[in-house]
Amino acid sequence: MDLRFTEAQEILKKASRDFLTTECPKTLVRELEKSEKGYSPELWKKMAELGWMALVIPEQYEGIGYTFQDLTVLLEEVGRNILPGPLIPTVISTFPILEAGTEEQKKEFLPKIASGGLIMTMALLEAEGTFDASGISVKATPKGDDFIINGTKLFVEMAHVANYIVCVTRTKDGDSPEKGITLFLVNSKTPGIHCEVIPTIGADKLCEVRFENVAVPKKNMLGKIDAGWPIVEMMLRKGSIAKCAESVGAMQTCIEMTVAYSKERVQYERPIGAFQALQHIMANMWTSMQTGRYLVYQAAWMESEGQPCAKEASLAKAYINEVYKDVGQWAIRLHGGIATSYDHDIPLYYRRSKAADTSFGSTDYHRELVAREIGLK
Amino acid sequence: MDFELTQEEKAHRKEYFDFCKELEKKRPASFIGLEAVFEVDECWQFHLYCAKEFAKKGWLGLAWPAEYGGSGTMMDKVLFAEARGYHGIPGVDIFGIQMLAPTLLQAASDPIKKEFLPPIARGEVMWCELWSEPNAGSDLATLSATAIKKGDEYVINGQKTWNTGAHRADWGFGVFKTDPAARKHHNITFLLLDMKTPGVTVRPIPYIDGDAPFAEVYFDDVHVPAKNIVGQENEGWAIVNLLAGFERSGMGEIMGMYRELEELVEFCNTTKRNGKLLSKDPLVRNRVAQLACELEAAKAIAYRIADLQNRNEMALMDASAAKIFYSELGERFAFVATDIAGPYGQVKNSRWAPMHGAWEKKFQECFVTIISMGTNEIQRNIIAWYGLGLPRMK
Repeated sequence: MDLRFTEAQEILKKASRDFLTTECPKTLVRELEKSEKGYSPELWKKMAELGWMALVIPEQYEGIGYTFQDLTVLLEEVGRNILPGPLIPTVISTFPILEAGTEEQKKEFLPKIASGGLIMTMALLEAEGTFDASGISVKATPKGDDFIINGTKLFVEMAHVANYIVCVTRTKDGDSPEKGITLFLVNSKTPGIHCEVIPTIGADKLCEVRFENVAVPKKNMLGKIDAGWPIVEMMLRKGSIAKCAESVGAMQTCIEMTVAYSKERVQYERPIGAFQALQHIMANMWTSMQTGRYLVYQAAWMESEGQPCAKEASLAKAYINEVYKDVGQWAIRLHGGIATSYDHDIPLYYRRSKAADTSFGSTDYHRELVAREIGLK
Repeated sequence: MDFELTQEEKAHRKEYFDFCKELEKKRPASFIGLEAVFEVDECWQFHLYCAKEFAKKGWLGLAWPAEYGGSGTMMDKVLFAEARGYHGIPGVDIFGIQMLAPTLLQAASDPIKKEFLPPIARGEVMWCELWSEPNAGSDLATLSATAIKKGDEYVINGQKTWNTGAHRADWGFGVFKTDPAARKHHNITFLLLDMKTPGVTVRPIPYIDGDAPFAEVYFDDVHVPAKNIVGQENEGWAIVNLLAGFERSGMGEIMGMYRELEELVEFCNTTKRNGKLLSKDPLVRNRVAQLACELEAAKAIAYRIADLQNRNEMALMDASAAKIFYSELGERFAFVATDIAGPYGQVKNSRWAPMHGAWEKKFQECFVTIISMGTNEIQRNIIAWYGLGLPRMK
């Protein structure tokens, strides 16, 4: 056991931190929140040059062949800085292609993703907003060489700029909701797709995507017909850990900023950080973050090693969801009035704590998964 | 970053678990809660028995230098704690082994090490800590029990309190004021003393639940050889800080909670209310799952501490955070479990009690880990002042 980052990981950390500090200051973050695209194509190109989308793609598909754990090291820095854009949805969408795609699909998609040429996202949630398979009613019906998709997906991150959408559809009504789920790689330019950005607290461009008789070639089926739910679970698992890593970085910034501010802000002739009530709150914030950090690292390591870790991923996501929100709200409160202004940086993190808790599975979804894994009948 | 145990560590872990599993079969039924060892005679006897069994294996000296009978690594120590925690096995004297031995190894003279370490490793001598006083708890430095030098002895007068197991222990390590005129933090000395020395009176203190895990200790002209000193005269405060720094990762308590969680799950899977199993109640599922999340987080930070200590690195902030976290988790666990048990949650060990009253006991006992070993408020101060660099208010 050695819980230190490797030298290569330390280099990746430092390089990405420096890059983000220079290339994605908070002025850009606020600009992108308000922009229609929600991301910067110029910045995306630079990230591609650094190999960020290629990180977990094997070298044979023009990727860098790093591990999932390395990805989480990068994402912790992303969370620390905040990086509006489709990095996480794109990277997480590479996994179903890697694990369930045909050789043809891998050759067609992976090199393009690696070079930053394709923005990807996953369309899972529908009107009920549940992560259970029972919420999937978007239908894919076979017709000749195609499948025809009909229905509405919600909360699809960055769908309005995505080139391809990994769409989770129902192809059969099986004896259980998990049976009869099929995934398709859908070209976002296909006629019949209507995308509308839902205004959300994280300004993360979650979209309503309506599919009206959208024809998708059979060859774009990802994995076997009716057997797609395990792929969805895999994406939720990896996406959860990825999101958790981002949240750990975000909490780190919240705590650093809060501690620093409490040392500068003087009231009653002393820095407010001298008051024990606030000191204890900050100690609690640090404790929440640090206990969560190693929970995430454990899940990231297991996932990276290919060890079954559905339980550990859900333990981490359920925990991090709640502590990030808690740390975020204390960060605002300990800054007092100034952090209630749009122009302050802390609210950027606080708002994202709410976005993060739903992304790749809400707390209750993950707690239920944990309940099953620990043997509750 | 690698969470994998080495082949050797895995083998050791299996050995510890197998051995403790066997010992569990011999554990008395009266062994309920973390303090049973001190509270119940037959549990104390079981503790002594387990100590001898562990001593035969050489496991009491894990991570000690070989010259004092030691073997194994810090990781072995943690893995051994996991096994004991999970199977609820005593036998490792917290005071002698977890606190005093590492302190002696680092700060005591060779004669002291040679005299006191082997009996600890052999499980022959059990210790207690003589620190707190009625007027000196968190602010230990204001203690007032004196140890006045007279020739080659110290003569001790005064009172200590909250001394866990003092009514059972053979020896005690304590801090006493040796120079009442000197300034705070440079006027106390760390001494080792035989609890059978004339003048020592031990009175068990009944805890909230009526059982007595700790005692108060009165010193009436107690003569202690001056050679039984750790560190320098009047510089006992440095030894106190050193000892307090040998933080337990809490792995034993944490693994004990894993076992309790399994029992809670089993209870939910076999108990009906309102016509259905408790395990089917979404609220129960949600609350128990949340406990599982927090427990896994506690274990993760315990491994972080083990990892640092394995490389002899400081774990100050993490250790304080871990202590706060697992002790308060114990309280939350007790609240949730007794709540899920409905009216049975209040029932003491008897034929009506779920888990032999373990949860009712925990509801009362949970304060021990929260308040002792540096209260959680002090731990938060430590994180704030020494970890986050926040200013101390004078």
